[in-house]
Amino acid sequence: MSRTRWIFLGIIVFAVVIVAASILLSQQTNEPGGAALTVERPDALKIRVLTALPVEPWVRSAAEAFNAGDYDVEGVPIEVEISAVDGLTALGRWDRNDYGALPADVRPEDLSEAERAALSGFPTAWIPDSRYLVELANASYKERLGRDVFLTDGEYRARPIAISLFAWGLYNSRAAVLEDEFGVINWSTIHDAAIARGGWPELGGEPSWGFFKLVVPNPSKNVGGLAAMIAMAGEYYDRTNISVEDIANPQFQVWLRELMGAVTDFSSASAYTAEDFALFGYSVGDGGQLLESDLLQNMQGIRTRWEDPLRIYYPEYVTWFDFPFSVWVGPETTALQKNAALEFQRFLLSDEQQKAALAFGLRPANPNIAVDAVENSLFAQWEDQGVQTVVPRTTAMRSPDRDVLLTLLRWFELNVAQ
Amino acid sequence: MSHRRAPSQAFRLSKRNRNFVAVVGAVALSILLCCTATYRSGMWLTDALRNRPDASAPAGPTWTADSADLTVAVSPMMAPVLSQLADDFNARNQTTPDGRNMTVTIAAVNPEKMVVEALGNPPFQAISPDSSLWLDQLEQRWTDAGIPQESDSVIPLGQSRTSGQVRYAVSPVVIAAWEEVARELGWPDQAVGWQDIQRIATSDPDFKWNHSSTNTASGLLATLAEFYAGAGLVRGLTAEAATAQSTLDYVQAVEATIRFYGEGEEVIVQRLAAEGRNFLDAFVGQERVVIEWNRTHPGERLIAIYPAEGTLWTDHPLALLELGASAAELSVTDNQRLTYRAFAEFLTGRESQLALLAAGYRPADLDIPLDGPDSPFAGADAVDWREPQTTLQMPPPSVINVVLDAWRYTKRPTNVYLVVDTSGSMEGEKIRRTREALAAFVEQVQGSRDRVGIVEFASSVKSFAPLSTLDDASRRDLLDIIDDMQAIGGTALIDAVYAAVEDLQSQRDDQAINAVVVMTDGLDNDSRRSLNDLSRLLQSHNGMPVVLFTIAFGRDADESLLTRMAEAGNGQFRRADETDIEELYRIISTYF
Repeated sequence: MSRTRWIFLGIIVFAVVIVAASILLSQQTNEPGGAALTVERPDALKIRVLTALPVEPWVRSAAEAFNAGDYDVEGVPIEVEISAVDGLTALGRWDRNDYGALPADVRPEDLSEAERAALSGFPTAWIPDSRYLVELANASYKERLGRDVFLTDGEYRARPIAISLFAWGLYNSRAAVLEDEFGVINWSTIHDAAIARGGWPELGGEPSWGFFKLVVPNPSKNVGGLAAMIAMAGEYYDRTNISVEDIANPQFQVWLRELMGAVTDFSSASAYTAEDFALFGYSVGDGGQLLESDLLQNMQGIRTRWEDPLRIYYPEYVTWFDFPFSVWVGPETTALQKNAALEFQRFLLSDEQQKAALAFGLRPANPNIAVDAVENSLFAQWEDQGVQTVVPRTTAMRSPDRDVLLTLLRWFELNVAQ
Repeated sequence: MSHRRAPSQAFRLSKRNRNFVAVVGAVALSILLCCTATYRSGMWLTDALRNRPDASAPAGPTWTADSADLTVAVSPMMAPVLSQLADDFNARNQTTPDGRNMTVTIAAVNPEKMVVEALGNPPFQAISPDSSLWLDQLEQRWTDAGIPQESDSVIPLGQSRTSGQVRYAVSPVVIAAWEEVARELGWPDQAVGWQDIQRIATSDPDFKWNHSSTNTASGLLATLAEFYAGAGLVRGLTAEAATAQSTLDYVQAVEATIRFYGEGEEVIVQRLAAEGRNFLDAFVGQERVVIEWNRTHPGERLIAIYPAEGTLWTDHPLALLELGASAAELSVTDNQRLTYRAFAEFLTGRESQLALLAAGYRPADLDIPLDGPDSPFAGADAVDWREPQTTLQMPPPSVINVVLDAWRYTKRPTNVYLVVDTSGSMEGEKIRRTREALAAFVEQVQGSRDRVGIVEFASSVKSFAPLSTLDDASRRDLLDIIDDMQAIGGTALIDAVYAAVEDLQSQRDDQAINAVVVMTDGLDNDSRRSLNDLSRLLQSHNGMPVVLFTIAFGRDADESLLTRMAEAGNGQFRRADETDIEELYRIISTYF
């Protein structure tokens, strides 16, 4: 063989050795580096559902039943994981993209193994308190990605799974005194009670009750706090649509500050305001406007712990929460996961689970189920305390826009929280 | 005729040309293969580097990526109960899906220290202070510590240091008084309030009461109640009202009646048990202390007075820390999250809730009646489960911080001598750790009217730095003295303590808490005075008591002598070693 051929052979051997060495090196990582995204059929399918606090106990119990059942999508068993998170808090995380949605120009198959692994905890679905939170999240992503991430129509559209509304809950002893004094329970009369300089004795109550104490959720932990402030504004202005200018009105701010000044403790309040209300009883709050389902879930506990049950009243301006089950439609979750989420959504809307929701004080989204359809319906159980199966004719507050929400949050931070 | 090569001929290259093409082909192929290899190797190297442990990471506590071991920092009062429940939880041998054992360890940590440690690289993954107000303080400090400003259109929520908060038990803060004292105050027929206690404390020099330091919920509440009373308010306390001169004068007058502060209610209970009825007439503490005392101590009962103006609840939250915000901090593992969730469920389960009720707490499970069979609330008049009727309004964190600052200037002042053994046996790590502990103590004393002195002794008193108010210059002088301490000589313990007590008594400052904190690691072998001499000096105070805190550093100290010295000085004896001497000095500083 000529010298040239030897050189040729040598170069080939050298190249083969380099390639073989690189293959060996990459095999040592136990990770096939740079392998393309392959759609493999998994053994099990895990989906994570961010769930608003008021429906979390019911949805979690439904998820346990679902996981114990024989549910699958295309033959792959589904496991549902529930993460409880307040709707407004979740919106803040979507806004900051804390969950790690991909930029518009990045595809999952372009990611490294580690980056793909980081997406494994990405929420498959979100059940916020109200559909307006979904709209705000969509607006945020539309700016960033140029498209909606939760759909409002089609197969994957957000569907309400239960509904509830804000109602007054007052301890019986205190409610009787306020009714005698004012005749009606609304934000205006509650404001009058809150600013009574002589406290309860001035209103006709016991001296030991101290001052009138209002319960309002902390808006930085519970979206119900903002809903309460919007309801206050609605009654103050006697209309359903509240603007930033309305919030900025100095007279309104004085009135709002007087009302909020009757709250005993925002700092220690947890996200579960109705539970706090029950645990600490009339010592921290004589009454407040809270979600009907939260109040109903704690009615028995309040009677057991404090002997003084709650009385329920319905306001003229009502804020509704409809808990839309919203499937994330971006590429961060697989088609199988999205379909698994739909399967769980169908399960939640089934007659059986809608009846189960009654035990948590939620009004069914499924119109086939009446609120007193089951024996343990909290609506039937607490009818004598003012709970009504059919909500009296009221006016629904309109959903606030992002600027109104931000203005209220900032007002709260500057004037109440600090 | 043009000379045109036939197609077959066109490809029939010369031998030289064929070799040239082969070499070019081989080189091209090699380049291609090498590029592929380089790319793959580069990818491998990138992945390897990406997965390599971060060299800058965790210098502090570490745990493995699949650890299911959870350490929970718990306020000292709750720690014994929670330790028992953690043992019960661990005995269940629950495992994570990947087969790791879920275990929970309880560490007793003062709430204020818990907040400070939770801000960066803490040795625990979850916390349970005695009140949610500490969680609020933590979140506030976490936010202040450097979350970047967000765009105006972003909802400013969702970035928290804690998550998964649950409550497992609550207990209202009450004024615990002996039954005889409670009846004199008007119980059970009349409402008794903070102002009644403050009035009697300022008008009756024999009335002895106490609230713990403001680093516990009960101590903070008692202080807030004083500021409210001083400002003539029961709600809406503002920074301006809290710092008005009339408010500060009132608080200062009330604080002057405090016998001592201290680290928490458990110490008060220990001292009540040791010294009996005459130690205190009343103190501020959780309702469960009254239940526990009456259950375990036959004789005169304690009565829980629910203050008429309102009180505060200790609500014992449990929260998971969201660690891993910096490279120097490990994240909580998925398995630790599972352990946290399982432990939270266990604590709120019926079995644990009944155990908490038995321990005198009000369980978070509202289905458990407080007046049911076996409940310590049932049939008792010393506590009343229908109370409290109202609470004081909790001011926002900014006002609380103002109150805490103002309290440091109005609280009862302290004259304290640090008596320090620097004999030869203290050489090495002991003297180094002692210097650090003393320096930390001097830094922690913040009261504008507090005075600190140092007595360094070995075979005799080596140096005597008289009491001085701690402004920047005097603080620096004391730190220099501490820095210069050298271990050499014998041990003349009693002589040094005698000198400190004698000097305190000569000051005749009966408005202040006068105290000596003495630390030694050995036996007294050089003193000219005896313990009897010291006891006689302490008893001859003519109405101006000096409290003695004694610390046995290491195992060679004369614990018997130190215990008797502490008894003679109505103080406390404590043990310490190199690992906890600084923490002990910090705890003792809460008494001042």
